[in-house]
Amino acid sequence: MNVKREKLTTLSFFLSPMAVMVVLFYLVPLIMTVYISFTRMRNWNVSKYLTEFVGFYNYHRLLYMFQHDPTFKAVLLTTVVFVGITLIINVFGGLALALATFFIEDKPASAFRLLWLLPRMSPIAVYSLVWYYFFHGSEIGTLNSILMKLGVISQPIPWGQIVPWGAWSIIIFVNGLVGVSFGMIVFTSALNQIPKELVIAARVDGASSWQISRRILIPMIRWHLLYVLTWQFLSLLTTYPHLFLLVQWDLVNGDYGTTLALYVFNTAFGMGEQDQGLAAAAAVLLSVIGIIGGFVTLKVLKFERMMKRPRGDF
Amino acid sequence: MRARVIWLVALVLLGVVASGCISGGGGTQTSSAKIQLTGDFTKDAVAVGKALQQNGISEVRFSAWGSGDPNSVMRVYGIVEAARRINRIWEKNGIKVKITITDTHYVASFQDAYKEYLSKQPLGQAGDFFVNSYAFLPTLADEGYILDITDYAKAYKSVIDDFYPSLIEASKFKGRLYGLPQDTEARPLYIRKDVAARIGLNLNGLDGKVKNGEFTWSDVYMWAKKAKESGVEWGLIHRKGSAHPDLIQFIFAFGGKLYDPNTGKLVVDVPAVYKWLYVEWKFARDGLLPKDIMSWDWAKQIHPTVVEGKTLFDIGGTWYWTEWQTKQYYNGRSLTPEEVRKWFYYTLFPAGEKGDKPVTLSQPFIWMINSKAGQQNPKYDELKDVYHELAFLMVVKASDPDINAIHSVISAHLPVRKAAAKLIKDEKWLNDLKNLNLDLDPAVKDNIKDIVKATVNPINAEFLANVSYMLEYTHLAPAHPKYPALADIFKEAVDRVLRGEMTPKDAVNFIIQKVKADSELAQNVEIVGKIPENWKFPQ
Repeated sequence: MNVKREKLTTLSFFLSPMAVMVVLFYLVPLIMTVYISFTRMRNWNVSKYLTEFVGFYNYHRLLYMFQHDPTFKAVLLTTVVFVGITLIINVFGGLALALATFFIEDKPASAFRLLWLLPRMSPIAVYSLVWYYFFHGSEIGTLNSILMKLGVISQPIPWGQIVPWGAWSIIIFVNGLVGVSFGMIVFTSALNQIPKELVIAARVDGASSWQISRRILIPMIRWHLLYVLTWQFLSLLTTYPHLFLLVQWDLVNGDYGTTLALYVFNTAFGMGEQDQGLAAAAAVLLSVIGIIGGFVTLKVLKFERMMKRPRGDF
Repeated sequence: MRARVIWLVALVLLGVVASGCISGGGGTQTSSAKIQLTGDFTKDAVAVGKALQQNGISEVRFSAWGSGDPNSVMRVYGIVEAARRINRIWEKNGIKVKITITDTHYVASFQDAYKEYLSKQPLGQAGDFFVNSYAFLPTLADEGYILDITDYAKAYKSVIDDFYPSLIEASKFKGRLYGLPQDTEARPLYIRKDVAARIGLNLNGLDGKVKNGEFTWSDVYMWAKKAKESGVEWGLIHRKGSAHPDLIQFIFAFGGKLYDPNTGKLVVDVPAVYKWLYVEWKFARDGLLPKDIMSWDWAKQIHPTVVEGKTLFDIGGTWYWTEWQTKQYYNGRSLTPEEVRKWFYYTLFPAGEKGDKPVTLSQPFIWMINSKAGQQNPKYDELKDVYHELAFLMVVKASDPDINAIHSVISAHLPVRKAAAKLIKDEKWLNDLKNLNLDLDPAVKDNIKDIVKATVNPINAEFLANVSYMLEYTHLAPAHPKYPALADIFKEAVDRVLRGEMTPKDAVNFIIQKVKADSELAQNVEIVGKIPENWKFPQ
């Protein structure tokens, strides 16, 4: 009994910093969000609205809006397309970059990776502004200007206003470039952990880079693939800053440039009123969607099988 | 285990409630010191100064938050100047207290400034003085974020009476006064004189015809079409976005309304909204107005197109007059005052059709006082009323006719006081302003010297005097907390009809559907009237 208690004390000691962090930064905000979603909280007026309970009013209002807003169908479709395609670009783009740099010299590989990190490192407003001027639908847009000078087009093309694919292409492109570096870093780190002997042996046996990648490297970083896929899925489901700016600046069509996360943000904060109660309800719904989505991803990719203890080691 | 979980949840909830109590706790404090204001400014300032001195205060620290175009910096420097003038009164009367303006926070977007104030005020981190659109005043007043100055203002009736009454009304919420007007503006229809001459549009007396309702939007359409046929790129350019409520002038010009004072609700006036959208649709379909204008760039497209003479008409604002003189919109340079006068004619926004009236639209800015003004100073709980009275006196001082007139001249906004309106017609005073030979704080002079150099001249003063009459025709966007949401929907609808994605009829139905989709918005908006059958434009 004493040994058990001692073990528990030791465990608690080592786990406590993380446990405190989890409680403070995950559990408390979660409970607060759920709590606020049942109040009439708005305009940041905590003292006035914190105890003004409205039951499921915010949820009801939100779901009613989902049902009756004529633009909501476009928003849902945009979310599916945006998350789906950007996720593929982020995961497989990251993997391709990691594999490509794996087979080249260290120095040029580092420089190449740094280049791909630039979108992530740039301030969101600056980065978005670059693409705003690049894709602008008039002759001031860089892309239009180049194509007109080359004689490819005679009139500027309003890229972001061509619905749905023009708008979708821009938001996917801009966010895809930002997200691809995350996968690249994780996969590079994972690839560097693989014993070099395996690659050298394969080379000696005459395997090509593609065969090495397919037969050795990718199977050995399956865990990382799953991690990046799940992480990026949840991240894309809730991201909105770049989209917000591109829509706000009228670069892309409002309906087909707006995902569920941005729709929620605009509904709660973008229309003059700062409605934290409604925003909290929307955040809870988004979290539920995220949890379900994450769970499905892990199931589909057979997470449990990967987590099984190795046989014969114990 | 279960008990522990219950304890944990209880602890978290306690934390949530406690955080609310902590941030809102200050509101119940009462202060004992209070000065009875008399309306004699010097006497009141001295009384407040003495009260502070007797309580051991030697310095009062305030901050001023403002926003707007680059030429409107007097929105914060007016407070700096007011502080200097009160400091001087105290000095002359041997009072050893000094007001220091610690921060002049000035940003371009007034919406962003409002959002920042809204989120920081409950935390006690917002500016003591906040100048912003009157449209936000109801929300700020309702939440208790700004000071009710009704009682203080009673002693200053003569000052209040010098403001234009409609602007004082715009500073009220539920009959109580929450600020003093800082500026206002009109939104003229600019006409390029050179293009007009080329197509035979006689501008002599046109403003009179617009005033009488003889020159309507059908005439605007006809002349815009002639301009286009003569080789001018566009017939009409207008502003974009929902934060800039210019386009709702169409609703008023077609005899419609946006707000019902009897019910306190916003109104979607279907016939007027339909006519507005039809006009936009028609102009865009005939290539007279860019169909993608709502996504045009302000600095690279909208202004350059107007100042380079690529359009006949432009729906703009009075502040354009000096903005064109300070921003480099014309082939990489700004316009000279002479060029602006030579190229631009201005009238009211014409009536929608015969029988309607011409209009303009104003969005007055108001000097508001934080309900926690002065809280960064010593003995705040004890001297709260005194600090608030001092803040009120500063706003009164910042409304001095000369400060208001300086702001008007350098930013091309209209004066809010009759005394300021008189001053801008005074040539000697204008000359003194041009040479900065005025009794102003050196820091203020330093900050406005470049703007003064570029904008102070008889041409601009004459422009302000000439457009002042427009205030008689002005309408205000509704000061309703839900108006921004409705404005966003209008903007979406305009964009769709301009691009040809919707007919005007579809767009009206879209607006109605969007309003009804949000139950809270639907409760605050009345939908009145029907789409007129067989309505024709142009007539």
